[in-house]
Amino acid sequence: MELFLSVVYSGLLLGGTYALVALGLALVFGAMKIINLSHGELVVLAAYIAYTVEARTGVNPMYAIPLAVVVVCVCNLIVYLLISRIRHDRELNSLLLTYGLGVVLTNSMLLIWSADLRSTSSEWMQEAASMGPFSSMRSELIAFVISGALMLVLWRWLSKSWYGRAVRAVSSNREAAALMGINPFRAELVSFLVAGLLASFAGVSIYSSQVIQPALGPHLTITAFIITVLAGVGSIHGVFIGAVLLGVSEALTTVFLSSSMRELSGMVILILVLFMLPNGLFGATARRG
Amino acid sequence: MKRPTILGVTLVVALYVAVPLVFASKPFVMSLLVAAMTVAGVALAWAMAGNLGGLVSFGHSAFVGIGGYASALLTIKWGLPVFPAMLMGGLAALIAALIMLPMLRLRGPYFALSILAYANIFRVVVSEVEFTGGAGGLTGIPRLPTLWGFDFSSKTGSYVLILTLLLLFMWIYALIRGSHFGLALKAMHESEDATRVVGVNSVQLKAVILLLSAFMTGVFGAFNTHYISFLDPDYAFDSAWIVLPVIAAIFGGYRTLTGPVIGALVMYMVDQLIFKALMPSGHQILLGGLLVFMILFSPTGLVPLVLRKGKVHRAAP
Repeated sequence: MELFLSVVYSGLLLGGTYALVALGLALVFGAMKIINLSHGELVVLAAYIAYTVEARTGVNPMYAIPLAVVVVCVCNLIVYLLISRIRHDRELNSLLLTYGLGVVLTNSMLLIWSADLRSTSSEWMQEAASMGPFSSMRSELIAFVISGALMLVLWRWLSKSWYGRAVRAVSSNREAAALMGINPFRAELVSFLVAGLLASFAGVSIYSSQVIQPALGPHLTITAFIITVLAGVGSIHGVFIGAVLLGVSEALTTVFLSSSMRELSGMVILILVLFMLPNGLFGATARRG
Repeated sequence: MKRPTILGVTLVVALYVAVPLVFASKPFVMSLLVAAMTVAGVALAWAMAGNLGGLVSFGHSAFVGIGGYASALLTIKWGLPVFPAMLMGGLAALIAALIMLPMLRLRGPYFALSILAYANIFRVVVSEVEFTGGAGGLTGIPRLPTLWGFDFSSKTGSYVLILTLLLLFMWIYALIRGSHFGLALKAMHESEDATRVVGVNSVQLKAVILLLSAFMTGVFGAFNTHYISFLDPDYAFDSAWIVLPVIAAIFGGYRTLTGPVIGALVMYMVDQLIFKALMPSGHQILLGGLLVFMILFSPTGLVPLVLRKGKVHRAAP
């Protein structure tokens, strides 16, 4: 039982990072009705920037966040500019386009950083940190706290600030939002930049608490997608709970079955949800797609 | 219609007779052709799902792997002859696609991502299970047989076999496209809701197309397995099995019958002979970049653009 609880705890911490990845994907999907298949690759890019900064200067990988934010946001800006140039059948062509971008990104990272597995060498980050009866690596706890804080900020931003509300308005009805004086293109751009910001934090967190490799990108995109399906359409707390559920189930499969079955748990959840709850756990009555 | 038929017959005869004769002394060229035509088969099946069913699948690499594994296991463990086993490989891929059917209720991007996620299941399972040889893969897979005194495992034999498979599936594709069934699918493409109103079961139509596409892909996967006589999970489910066909189909024009095949022949040669020479590792960057370029500048394909056949730009739906 004690083992079970501590596994659930580490799954919870993992879920925090997953939630950041999924929120970025969901935000862009909301504003533009497209799924950015290169989103996971951008997260991995942020992780490699953290690796480079740590390897070059020897500082804590968390200090790499500002640089990662700049690089990833610029990349996401390019992704946005390319997508916005698609004229016909944007929903499907954007999938192919971002798939191609993902292939380019994965292989570029493979060329730059090689296929070797990397993880942080910071001892301070890897020390044990306990919360009550549970313990984890310090980096995992820090990552969870950061993602919790970011989610609160995002929630406030979406509900209170002008731009956040503009993004939500465009998500729910693009034409009406445009009539109210919101520039939908600017709202889309903002959603991409915020997604890039979230991806950078997620990437640095993943680097400091896990092992990274260039081919991780598609797995992260799929994970984020499964979470958004779990969560249903448009709710931050839904994404958070979905992410934690997925993190916990992955942690449980890793410990009680095998580490390579870990990927499977997400797929099984996805298929079960599609069969039984087509609107997701917290979805409104809205039909998907 | 007279002239294209004569042209077609001449072309088919040339493919069956002239190509093997000309390149008989150049096994390298023949291997390139066989490999390119395997990719062409997958590209054709992918494009059929996209064109007739409106389905964008990133999961066809799973069907390649399943077809290959099923056929290899049936021949190794139960001693089934290679040709029936290849058919069973296609059938296995079809069965795998059956589980995918609930996802057809999802539209556009949701379907594409679900199938991508689903495809991963098989690689994990195959690498874990003892029966399939685990991560080490399978060796000693029977090669293509000698039948009626004709050695299908030779370069020429493999070429004739893959050419026959490819032409057969192109013929089936053309038949479907020209039938009532194809008309309903075309109508569905214009407006799914309107088609449903007049009593066409659009989900059922899509399901049939997906199953057929999976079957074709499985057969090509099985062919490749017996052709190279080796299989491991990383190779069988390699993402290259989807990247190359997608780019080939987009490059050649996925709404045409010959586009994906021509696209695959061109792309495979370009990839092997030029891209790999330019960048020995990570040459997929160039493929990905090409896909991006195609989507931005000519999403209906380069071959139709050059030939100026049909409408180059479709009106936005």
